[in-house]
Amino acid sequence: MAARRRLKRVAASQSGFLSFKSPSDPTASVGSRRKRVNKNKKKNWNKYSDVNDVDEFLEDVRHQERTTGGLLSEKADDSLFFLDLGQPEKPQPQAETPQADEGRKRKGKASRPLRIDLILKPDSLVPPPKDILAYQQPNAKKLRRIAEKAERLAAKGVVPRKQKRLLNRRPIDRTVKKAVAEANNNPDRDYYDIWGQEPKVSADPWYLQQTGKKLVKRPAKLNEKPSVLPAVEVIAPGGSYNPDFFSHQALLQEAHQVEVQKKKQEDKLERQLAINKKDKATEETNLREQVEGLVEEENDDEELAPSKEDDEAALAAIAVTQKKSEKQIKKEKAEKFKEQQRLTSRRQTERQQQLFQLRSIKASIRQQEEKTKSKQMQRRIKQEAQKAQPRRLGKLKFQAPDLDVQLSDELAGSLRQLKPEGSILKDRFKSFQKRNLIEPRERAKFKRKLKVKYVEKRAFREIT
Amino acid sequence: MGGLQKKKYERGSATNYITRNRARKKLMLSLPDFRRLCILKGIYPHEPKHKKKVNKGSTAPRTFYLLKDIRFLLHEPIVSKFREYKIFVRKLRRAYGKTEWSAVERLKENKPAYKLDHIVKERYPTFIDALRDIDDALCMGFLFSTFARTGKCHVQTIQLCRRLTVEWMNYVIASRALRKVFLSIKGIYYQAEVMGQLITWLVPYQFSHDHPTDVDYRVMATFTELYTTLLGFVNFRLYQSLNLVYPPKVSDSKSFKGKLSALSSSLARVVSSEEEEDAKLDEFPDEGEDMEKMEAREKEQKQLETQKKIFEGLKFFINREVPRESLAFVIRCFGGQVSWDKSVCIGSTYDVTDETITHQIVDRPNVDKQYMNRYYIQPQWVYDCVNAKIRLPVEDYFLGVNLPPHLSPFVEEKEGDYVPPEKLKIMALQRGEKLGMYQASQQDEEEEEEEEEEEDENEEEEDDEEEAEEKNLKKMEEQRSQGKSLQVKVTPGKVKVENPARLEQEEKAEEKRLAIMMMKKKEKYLYDKIMFGKKRKVREVNKLAAKRKAHDDAEKAKKKKARK
Repeated sequence: MAARRRLKRVAASQSGFLSFKSPSDPTASVGSRRKRVNKNKKKNWNKYSDVNDVDEFLEDVRHQERTTGGLLSEKADDSLFFLDLGQPEKPQPQAETPQADEGRKRKGKASRPLRIDLILKPDSLVPPPKDILAYQQPNAKKLRRIAEKAERLAAKGVVPRKQKRLLNRRPIDRTVKKAVAEANNNPDRDYYDIWGQEPKVSADPWYLQQTGKKLVKRPAKLNEKPSVLPAVEVIAPGGSYNPDFFSHQALLQEAHQVEVQKKKQEDKLERQLAINKKDKATEETNLREQVEGLVEEENDDEELAPSKEDDEAALAAIAVTQKKSEKQIKKEKAEKFKEQQRLTSRRQTERQQQLFQLRSIKASIRQQEEKTKSKQMQRRIKQEAQKAQPRRLGKLKFQAPDLDVQLSDELAGSLRQLKPEGSILKDRFKSFQKRNLIEPRERAKFKRKLKVKYVEKRAFREIT
Repeated sequence: MGGLQKKKYERGSATNYITRNRARKKLMLSLPDFRRLCILKGIYPHEPKHKKKVNKGSTAPRTFYLLKDIRFLLHEPIVSKFREYKIFVRKLRRAYGKTEWSAVERLKENKPAYKLDHIVKERYPTFIDALRDIDDALCMGFLFSTFARTGKCHVQTIQLCRRLTVEWMNYVIASRALRKVFLSIKGIYYQAEVMGQLITWLVPYQFSHDHPTDVDYRVMATFTELYTTLLGFVNFRLYQSLNLVYPPKVSDSKSFKGKLSALSSSLARVVSSEEEEDAKLDEFPDEGEDMEKMEAREKEQKQLETQKKIFEGLKFFINREVPRESLAFVIRCFGGQVSWDKSVCIGSTYDVTDETITHQIVDRPNVDKQYMNRYYIQPQWVYDCVNAKIRLPVEDYFLGVNLPPHLSPFVEEKEGDYVPPEKLKIMALQRGEKLGMYQASQQDEEEEEEEEEEEDENEEEEDDEEEAEEKNLKKMEEQRSQGKSLQVKVTPGKVKVENPARLEQEEKAEEKRLAIMMMKKKEKYLYDKIMFGKKRKVREVNKLAAKRKAHDDAEKAKKKKARK
């Protein structure tokens, strides 16, 4: 506002200033009727007063200030005009050596600002306005007063409440970093005596139980091993890198047996899958098939005739089953009764006779007991043997790995030339399976979702 | 009668088992996580006795778990960690997808991790329990530590396995616990006796890996995860028991980490003064039988003591073509000093040129520069010495010599089994018998073998004499029974020397014969059966021995031909 006012003042002092009335004139001349407007409202002042001339003038003033740094009218004449004395004498460039000249040229080039910078450089001579807030502090007085008071109190030794509260707060243990969870396989992790010290239970057991944080005791049954097999089964003596002849032969024999067994099974499967030779098409069967139905066979009628006779016979058999007469029924009943009596009497005598067979009965009982005992033994032995066997734990059965064997000509003469056989990783894996620690599995097969489309490339097609 | 109808599969074994999928759903875990949890907690699938009942009438093969086991798993705090990890992975993937690198950083910083300490404590309530199950842990540790860092498993896991196995080997060296070594075509089997437990483990040869495709690496890594934790705690306890510093340090002050794995120097102790404890077995005056046992035990103890020191005072040098780690480990386990070329590995303590070296281990046909005062032997000598529990004669193991077979120390022959002649020889050496002077030449060896056979024959001859006498008597009796007059001839009498030992033997044999005669029919049958079995075994053994002899003869003939 202040700047504007100053400008107005300046405008008034200007000689070429038109009177204030002039803005109303053009409107009067252009419009036939002057629009009447109440000027008692600020809104209307803005709306219906023409300020173009003032703006133009102000723009001119601003332009002058920008380009020359002030109003031209206020400037001294010396600063505006100069005495023209003709062309000044040019300094002669020939005086300097060309080399030095080149060097300077380069220097000049380097030091000259870019044209783009020159264009972008502000050419206004009006200094930018100062940001007052950058120098002034809001509430400076109040703040100064507070600071003074604080100083006074500090001199007395009184601690302000805010600080006192901070001091009273429980100190945070900065030394304990937020426990970064250390990975389990960190190679530098540290171990301690896990069996020596009992883990101290910090919290109330009731609390732990209610919140589900209490460690549950492991059932003792879980510590039983699922198999009696040892963790590491040492290879047979024939598996030595430099084996004794016979143990090596024994191992080879064993491996051979396994192979033979495998071959047998394969052969069996092949046999079962083989095509029966009778089912094969021969020329004769082919011919018969081709003439099927074309050649009439004579014995058709003969076959039909006996079948009719059979039917008649069956009908007759049904008719024969007639009701029994009363006499017959009575007779049958009596026979049945008689038979039953005979059987009971016989049983009785048998039972009486058993009294004299006591010894043999006892013997037979003993025999039976022995039999059961031996069976029990066998069953127990079988169960024991089962404990060492891999169980059926899933879809797949355990398949024993191939025996690791080196043939006689593969054996290395020395440790240096030894070529290790088989993979220990696989051996371990199979051992876990054999001991029922994991179920045997197969690697998941890759399944293609979409069908593969084969297209003959153009270049290829041209050739073929 | 009457009452409510009993529904099927709502009682009995059907309710005791749970299928894998249902268990997985109950725990709200994915299948890999479930598998991991089961391995870590030691919960294994179970084969029910009546599958059809358990499977609700279906006979489809399924994996079953005991329901109580799964209920026990529900309390495991690690389950929630698994879920957290799943969420972490999801978030991380999302951040990657959106290329929010700061979020990725932050997430990675807060990666959830878990410890298995409490599981180890829970599964192995006492230290001995843990020690009994350490075989697997060692095998997996040694196996994983030889893996190449090719992304089949975490590099960190490999490093941890290496560290733990090196610690273990150092412990075995310090406690001199190694008992047996067997070089097989698969790998090297070691057996050590730690705190009365026999521990066997298998170490692969170096650089022998091809990665098989039909092995689930995730499962193996899970096992390893558990076993590394277990092995670490066991190591700590073992080191403590020997008063060694854990984590182990090499006793010389200026040393760094790699030196430990070189296995060449001893470990630092907590108590610096090394007191040799000569713990003698307590003797209890007791009855005769126990005394015998005691004596046997004492003898065994003595043998053990000597076995522990078979390489004491020897200085080995390992050539570069020999498996360094295994040999250094074995030699140091039995008190030998060992070194190697500086360029092979750090931790070499002396040079090839050292004059005090007694044995140089070489595995090549010949060596250019040989020193006079040392033996050049093949590596098998070291292993065979360990298995034989004595220092074997070096002649059989010289450079370029055809090695005797490397026998498995894990085979224990029962009485009457076939024993290969090489083992017989070693056994004879163990007994302290000296089979003449050993010389490198083949012929001498042959002679020795013959000698040995002669010895055996001597024993047999005595039996033969007896038989001959009996035959004579029989003949005479026969003649008498036939009524012929005996050819009477008077010869000057001989004083029969009465051998009390022999008399006693005869008496015993007579008693035995009588006892056999007095046997019941049933017992007799059984006895005959047993004897028949024994005889058959003897026959087989004889057959094998004859075969072996034939084989050896053939070999010799071949060699002689070749020589000509």
